[in-house]
Amino acid sequence: MFYPVAGKMIPWFAIPAAILFAAGMYVGFFIAPTDFQQGDAYRIIFIHVPAAWMGMFLYVLMAIYAGVGWAFNARLASMMASALAVTGAMFTLVSLVTGALWGKPTWGTYWVWDARMTSTLILMFLYIGFISLQASIDDTRRADRAGAILALVGVINVPIIYFSVQWWNTLHQGATIRLIGKPTIAAPMLTAMLIMLAACWFYSVAVVLIRLRCIILEREQNAARFAEVNA
Amino acid sequence: MDWPDLSMGKYGFYVWGSYLFSLLLFVWEILSLKQRKRALKQQQQQQRSSPVSPKVFTGSANETTS
Amino acid sequence: MLRWIVWRDLTLAWRRRADILSTVFFFIIVVSLFPLGIGPETQLLRSIAPGIIWVAALLASMLSLNRLFANDHQDGTLEQLLLTPQPLFLVVLGKVLAHWIVSEVPLVLVAPLVGLQFDLETETLRILLISLLVGTPVLSLIGSVGAALTLGLRGGGVLISLLVLPLYIPALIFGSGAVEASIMGTAPAPHLSLLGAFAIVSLIFSPWATAAALRISVE
Repeated sequence: MFYPVAGKMIPWFAIPAAILFAAGMYVGFFIAPTDFQQGDAYRIIFIHVPAAWMGMFLYVLMAIYAGVGWAFNARLASMMASALAVTGAMFTLVSLVTGALWGKPTWGTYWVWDARMTSTLILMFLYIGFISLQASIDDTRRADRAGAILALVGVINVPIIYFSVQWWNTLHQGATIRLIGKPTIAAPMLTAMLIMLAACWFYSVAVVLIRLRCIILEREQNAARFAEVNA
Repeated sequence: MDWPDLSMGKYGFYVWGSYLFSLLLFVWEILSLKQRKRALKQQQQQQRSSPVSPKVFTGSANETTS
Repeated sequence: MLRWIVWRDLTLAWRRRADILSTVFFFIIVVSLFPLGIGPETQLLRSIAPGIIWVAALLASMLSLNRLFANDHQDGTLEQLLLTPQPLFLVVLGKVLAHWIVSEVPLVLVAPLVGLQFDLETETLRILLISLLVGTPVLSLIGSVGAALTLGLRGGGVLISLLVLPLYIPALIFGSGAVEASIMGTAPAPHLSLLGAFAIVSLIFSPWATAAALRISVE
């Protein structure tokens, strides 16, 4: 089935991931210049921004796989959705923490309720909801489909949530300090970010495939045991 | 190769802290997956060697964690 | 069919009116806790009142959600309802409507009284009432999806909150935003319109999602 194919694919993604991470770090730290406004603190963006993008991208991907799995009764697609969830949540967590660590030296506080950080926090909640829901349902079929509904409802709501958070943020602009956005992007900075993004993507594929194989194994084992017990 | 200012102009804690945290999470993810795989392989061996022993379901196949 | 479901649910709820009252009391207590935790300074309380009242409404709504399907599920009525030739969409809509009347409307009516605790003006109280009137259907509608998904699961109320609270956030933002605008003297209309739009979108999509979730949870 897909299991051995997935196994063969993993090194093809794991090794480039490592290389890209090294390359990205090199460009980011050795070639990109020190920023005029933020000094060297800005170098956090080379992990913060790719992580944020991956968090969002993986959520959408997860919803798509879950939806396809539900609509076409394709178990592999549903398993893929479950496999994506934790990695996506992890990247979102990285984004939140690195965002906080970037915030302290640049804006003075670890946490700022701006549109981006708040939306990322809400995305984290959405991931946690999906993971918790699947974890509390024993029947795999129900878990797959329930997850699909939750993910689809979530993905439809994400633009609404993002819009409402933007709205909320601009309303209270007067009370909060005006935030300095990303530094003006010099070419090496953009290059480093893109390389790191590619690295994160390759890493995600490798890790998700590993998890997918675990899920496949678990389901086969449970099915086998079920057959034994009921033989 | 021109080494950059490794203290990141006194922001070292934040910059290196960020990368360290991220690295720790990646490592944790990979290690916990490896462990999960190993446990599954063990169970598979046990199942093969004692085929007619109905076992209690240990853990849900819906585990998205680790 | 719709009318029958609504009537049935209302009758059943009336027999258990203690449940309804406990939701309202929870709402009142939670709102009263905040000044106790923050301090009695009127200016401060007035500025945080919209948020507090709205969050308390969210929490109280969430607690009442398990009532939506669990009882019918336990006595087998839910399965019967799934088998009727009537579209499940309508059944869900009926139950959500009944739930709204029973669990949310009392909150809406009590809210202005509670608003007095924060020294809000009459006009603001009026806007508070309207915002909750428009917003609470959203809470029931979106909540019903969560209730259907978690039917019979061990997680209980906590699991529903994990699923549903993030989805409530736009309603919270627009709803409390409207009240806050009223306090500050700006126009609450944009907030209320957005809240209304969100309510309409929920009305169209959530019964469908809830129906699908019910089928998944029950079979």
